[in-house]
Amino acid sequence: MPEPMAQPATDLPELNPIIHGKLRLALLSLLSTVEEAEFTWLRAKTNSTDGNLGAQLLKLEEAGYVSMEKKFVLRKPQTLYRMTESGRQALTEYVQALKQLLGAAIES
Amino acid sequence: MADFNDRQELNERLSLIENMIAEGRQSTQSWGWTFVLWGVAYYVAIAWAHWGDAAIAWPVTMITAGLITGIIAMRRSSGRPETKLGRSMAAVWISLGISLFLFGICAGFSGHGDQHVVIAVISTMLGMANATSSLTLRWKPQFACAVVWWAAAVVSLFGTVTQGSIGFLVAIFLCQIVFGVYMMIGEAREARQLRSRSGKEGPSHA
Repeated sequence: MPEPMAQPATDLPELNPIIHGKLRLALLSLLSTVEEAEFTWLRAKTNSTDGNLGAQLLKLEEAGYVSMEKKFVLRKPQTLYRMTESGRQALTEYVQALKQLLGAAIES
Repeated sequence: MADFNDRQELNERLSLIENMIAEGRQSTQSWGWTFVLWGVAYYVAIAWAHWGDAAIAWPVTMITAGLITGIIAMRRSSGRPETKLGRSMAAVWISLGISLFLFGICAGFSGHGDQHVVIAVISTMLGMANATSSLTLRWKPQFACAVVWWAAAVVSLFGTVTQGSIGFLVAIFLCQIVFGVYMMIGEAREARQLRSRSGKEGPSHA
């Protein structure tokens, strides 16, 4: 019985570079579990700085993966982030691609 | 593509996703203390009603426990995100609290509160809330609590007043105090595991 051939590299999926960044991936994963989250909660969960977190969230927002809303609660400003439907779709596709690549790496 | 094919890095990304999803879910799972608090409140109310002023014991204790729960819950959940699951659980327990309070007040002041029936209704409602929560969370230990509450309701209706009271006290101990402490231990263990995991594989950069 012939051995199964390794999948050619060209058939392997590309990983979405916007999601592949560690902090952006962490943010999308966190946001996938909640309806919306405050900037401060995301900062605490990811142990990141305000500047870096703001920059990465902006990239995700520009890609249409998260939406941002500013509001006041008891006179205190709140910045809330929510994962969009296309963000959820992109994260799902990223995880599928990751698993496919890992499978190919194990086979080769 | 060459970078993406690095197996180690791909595994790290997968672990990061798992850890962050676990972190996100963790924020809705610290409620063991409320079970203990309400268990103690029931005991205080029962003791106060037995040895002190029965007319004010239950309303005062329940309102105080409700206020303490509200204040601590608000402070703990401040800044934490809301989930559909968390909101469903809150809906079950808030509805239970309102129902119990209304029933307790009306049964007490109307003079129609037969002890057999009062204990049976309270136990049945607590059983229903525990069962709803357990079936939603797919958590068997909590369903055992529901069974204990329903058993207390049956004992109260078919047994003597003393047997019903003992059944109720035992159910409070098992389903509030013991179960609350069990939940708190589990939550602390889970928090420790998450801290150690996220310490090893945190998203340090973009």
